[in-house]
Amino acid sequence: MIPRRLPAILAGLLAALLAGLACSTGAPTSSSTTLTVLAGSELKDLEPLLPDLEKATGYHLSLNYVGSLDGAERIVNGDRSQLAWFSSGKYLNLLQANRSRVVAQDPVMLSPVVIGVKHSTAVRLGWSGNPDVTWADIGARSKAGDFHFAMTNPTASNSGFVALVGVASALQQSGGALDQGNINVAALKDFFSGQALTAGSSGWLADSYVRSQSSLDGIVNYESVLLSMNQGNQLREKLDLVYPKEGIVTADYPLMLLDRSQRAGYDKVISYLRRPDVQTRIMKTTGRRPAVPGVALDSRFPAQVLIELPFPSSLEIVNKLLFTYLDQIRRPAHAVFVLDTSGSMQGDRLDSLKRALVGLTGADSSITGQFASFRQREQVTILLFNSRVYQQRDFVVNDVSSSSPDLAAIRDYVGSLQASGGTAIYDALESAYQVAARGQQQEPDRYFSIVLMTDGQNTAGHDANHFLSYYGRQTATARAVKTFPILFGEGAPKELNQVADTTGGRVFDGRSASLNSVFKEIRGYQ
Amino acid sequence: MGRILGLVLAGLLAVGVIAAVGYSVIGRFAPQPIQTVSVRGAIGSEKEPFFRDPQVQAVFHKHGLDVQIDTAGSREIATTVDLSRYDFAFPAGVPAAQKIKADKKAAATYSPFYTPMAVATFKPIVQLLIANKLARDEGGYYQLDMQPYMDLVAKNARWSDFPANTAYPASKSVLITSTDVRKSNSAAMYLAIASYVANGNNVVQDQATAAQLVPKVAPLFLRQGFTEASSEAPFDDYLSIGIGKSPMVMIYEAQFLARATAHDRAITPEMVLMYPNPVVLSKHTLVPLKPNGDRVGRLLTDDPELQRLAVKYGFRTNDQAAFSSYLKSRGVAQPPQLVNVIEPPAFEPLEAMIAGIERLY
Repeated sequence: MIPRRLPAILAGLLAALLAGLACSTGAPTSSSTTLTVLAGSELKDLEPLLPDLEKATGYHLSLNYVGSLDGAERIVNGDRSQLAWFSSGKYLNLLQANRSRVVAQDPVMLSPVVIGVKHSTAVRLGWSGNPDVTWADIGARSKAGDFHFAMTNPTASNSGFVALVGVASALQQSGGALDQGNINVAALKDFFSGQALTAGSSGWLADSYVRSQSSLDGIVNYESVLLSMNQGNQLREKLDLVYPKEGIVTADYPLMLLDRSQRAGYDKVISYLRRPDVQTRIMKTTGRRPAVPGVALDSRFPAQVLIELPFPSSLEIVNKLLFTYLDQIRRPAHAVFVLDTSGSMQGDRLDSLKRALVGLTGADSSITGQFASFRQREQVTILLFNSRVYQQRDFVVNDVSSSSPDLAAIRDYVGSLQASGGTAIYDALESAYQVAARGQQQEPDRYFSIVLMTDGQNTAGHDANHFLSYYGRQTATARAVKTFPILFGEGAPKELNQVADTTGGRVFDGRSASLNSVFKEIRGYQ
Repeated sequence: MGRILGLVLAGLLAVGVIAAVGYSVIGRFAPQPIQTVSVRGAIGSEKEPFFRDPQVQAVFHKHGLDVQIDTAGSREIATTVDLSRYDFAFPAGVPAAQKIKADKKAAATYSPFYTPMAVATFKPIVQLLIANKLARDEGGYYQLDMQPYMDLVAKNARWSDFPANTAYPASKSVLITSTDVRKSNSAAMYLAIASYVANGNNVVQDQATAAQLVPKVAPLFLRQGFTEASSEAPFDDYLSIGIGKSPMVMIYEAQFLARATAHDRAITPEMVLMYPNPVVLSKHTLVPLKPNGDRVGRLLTDDPELQRLAVKYGFRTNDQAAFSSYLKSRGVAQPPQLVNVIEPPAFEPLEAMIAGIERLY
């Protein structure tokens, strides 16, 4: 770390000298200054570039990954990171209004959010190579049951957020920016009736699409993600990239300076990142477009003009759109929570589980908490187990106000939980699949998912293998329900990972993060 | 020789590091820098490249000043930025400067350079506009008639409404992209032009008229949705994203000319400049808040080197010949004579219109 008061010329010499030493020895450059960066997980693919950035600028970027919305909320609440780097700065910009914490910001790269359509589907629907496909056309095919797609949850991930803003702007048909009064709920409902897969992160969505590609027709994601899927060898059919005619919304990945005293470092880092040769390298390795003029696009990018849709002007409009999506537009969720109430949960563990669940009933007033809470039309099933599996309790949420009796019922039930006895994990999980299968028969339009929360090894009932073979015998529809296990206490990582892998879910770690934040994150997958 | 000196210095540095006695020891071997005092200014972002230019900094250094800048929207500088931290404020326009001058009881202001408002656009768009009698060719530059443009906006015309338009058949509204009128001067200058046209070709003089005009001019801004606080951002988008995002962008002429004269490949042959008719000049006006800020203002106005460098950034100074000959030397066409130049409203009526639009957001 160089003292900042050192005259610049000497600092430069010193840095050059030590960088030279480091090159010859391969040791880390002790002369580098570290800048802390609160970053979106999409930026992980830039990590290979960071050593060269450090060599060229003398600044080491230490990236701390969080979700976009979570990051925006942290910054507004005074996060001490010196820089921030997300796929978009617009939500943060609206959130902070006149109390701006962003001293400077410059876009680093561009990627529009578009639709990858399985080639055979694109041919069948007449979309392949057709520049006139509109969001409305896609909505019509979704409604007719001809098009099933994957998209991230707009309140958890920026690609879903940007896509929702785009499709809502296009379908309101005013030509201008989205306004509170003109959210076209009916047309949006048609469009999202085709959403067959959701997720809390763009990267996980892509992996999940690969897994379920036979039953899906397309995926909404960053152009860069779709290009890299096409370059990889995991797709049985390539994706045709459809850029809807009304327009799209582009993520511009701004690097943002939060700590005014780090201006010099910010300037060096951003100048490096915007250098034409570095922009070319970013384009080649990440599939994102250059953010500076004069750098030619390579042949992977279509030559057509991409119409950019306007972004809403206020936080009220954006939040209204997001809550309308959750409460009225999306396929309603049926969330099954399988909860361990064995003896080992007694005390702090049960208390933190209760807090996390009560947080989802409106008690968590943070922005992320509001989006994570149970929403209108949602069905919640709580299935308790210890040595045996208890009778399921069903809750239907229609009222999401703070005085809602629907939410109070969930709070009261969660508050009454008590811990004792053993741990019959897999009997409980099997019951959960039976609950989901019955639900699917009664209400096929719902989006089903299972959360499995346990703090120990299976000590009662059938074992994991028994469950896995049971799962394997179910219908494809029933098997589409994913299990999201939460690793907690002495939970068995290997077994729970196997459950997640087999069902297409994902393990969340409740040992390193609080159960509150884990439950909030899981909500992005429900 | 230089190499030997370098080795010697490197050796000294290594000794310093190994001894780990810190920079104070190393500092003793360093050449003494020129004694400078730090001067801090709050400026509009459009002047950031100028102030960060090493040549500009060198001139200030020669006069013992180390000029540090923070950027903000001009209206923010006039209203919300805490100016007690600064030696000078340098918003982009006269109305914001007037307000700061009055608030801070500054004795004088400096207007070292100015730039006309302009609309950065693309050839296919210009051809469409000419075909529909909204624009005229002015010898490589163009003129956009604001009255018929505003009539189109009032009807919420789409690009796809133009007959036989295959060049840009977007269903988006015909709309100039601007900055955030609640924060930035370039949007306020756009509002100055629009309100003049909406007011029957008269400068808005009073708050009552201002209030009446709000419903007529507000859609120009509201329909854009999200707008950026600084004038650099939409121009950057124009250069890097292009016609799909911003077929027309309200900018300062200087922004376009700086890139055109730099020949850095940012301006493609498709990119052209239109002048709104009527047009407003944005007079970059420095308000000194402390004595050292006053020195910055005086140097910017009087120092021939700084005036020359300002021209390099596309600004016009009082020396019109210097501007013309610089463009010529860089092979950039001379902009047309601007005839219909109007004054912006005073701060109060302009502020009344902005506040009125702000309430509609």
